[in-house]
Amino acid sequence: MPLISRWMIRLSLVYLLLGLTAGSLMLINKAWMVHPLLWAALPAHIEWMIFGWIIQFTLGTAYWILPRFLDSKSRGNEPMAWTMLLSLNLGIWFIIADGFSLIPYAGLSGRVLETLGVVLFALLHWKRIVTYGDHEH
Amino acid sequence: MPLITRLFIKTGLVYFVISLLIGISSQIPSLHFPAITPLFWHMLMLGWITQIIIGVSLWMFPGRKKEESFQNQRLGWIAYAGLNSGLFLRVISEPLIYAYPNTIWGELLVVSAVLHFVGIGSYVLEIWPRVMSRKQRLNRRKKRK
Repeated sequence: MPLISRWMIRLSLVYLLLGLTAGSLMLINKAWMVHPLLWAALPAHIEWMIFGWIIQFTLGTAYWILPRFLDSKSRGNEPMAWTMLLSLNLGIWFIIADGFSLIPYAGLSGRVLETLGVVLFALLHWKRIVTYGDHEH
Repeated sequence: MPLITRLFIKTGLVYFVISLLIGISSQIPSLHFPAITPLFWHMLMLGWITQIIIGVSLWMFPGRKKEESFQNQRLGWIAYAGLNSGLFLRVISEPLIYAYPNTIWGELLVVSAVLHFVGIGSYVLEIWPRVMSRKQRLNRRKKRK
């Protein structure tokens, strides 16, 4: 498993735990009112679970498991892959900051960064979505 | 495919269908019930997508013990039991706390939150050391031999 996939998968597990903690606290808050401010964690819970956990885990696994290039045995441009990782994760934290109105235009910046991460993922993998069938004969 | 993976995937498929049925009922006012929206999303995201991810990763990630026994897949079984009992308890108790506030349903909702935590925590404990490079995998295999 390449280093980038290991980073993405482990980060996704951390987000899973963060999202789970926020979700569990909100669920407990429904039964026993612990603190009304706990509901403010809802946007972070959604962001951690969808982009941090599900999407990042899937992208990290795909980077590992999709066919490598036949000629170089590589998975493509590494700096571009690191930029994808950084961009996606920065985007997640900008969106969370937006939930607390911490930084101006954080929501827009977050979505732009996430989009950049996904576009880089698509560019990195486009030519890796192939069949080896033609090369076997 | 190991038994634990088959169970995660098949349970996930059941949740997938149920969540979509709940999605249909959320669009019909006479079939509405309290907490229908969070239940729909959690059955879809946790019951379906997360269970599929967990089931497939337990099978595909390196370092799996191939001999099947409860002991060898202990954390996987705790993850399955925790996640599914927690989700089931939530599906039952969350609508009922609106109808009967300050009753046992509230306590059961708290238990469901704890069970979710136990389930997901066990999965993370199982899969974290299996996120490894090819070199680490080969070294681990050598050590086992």
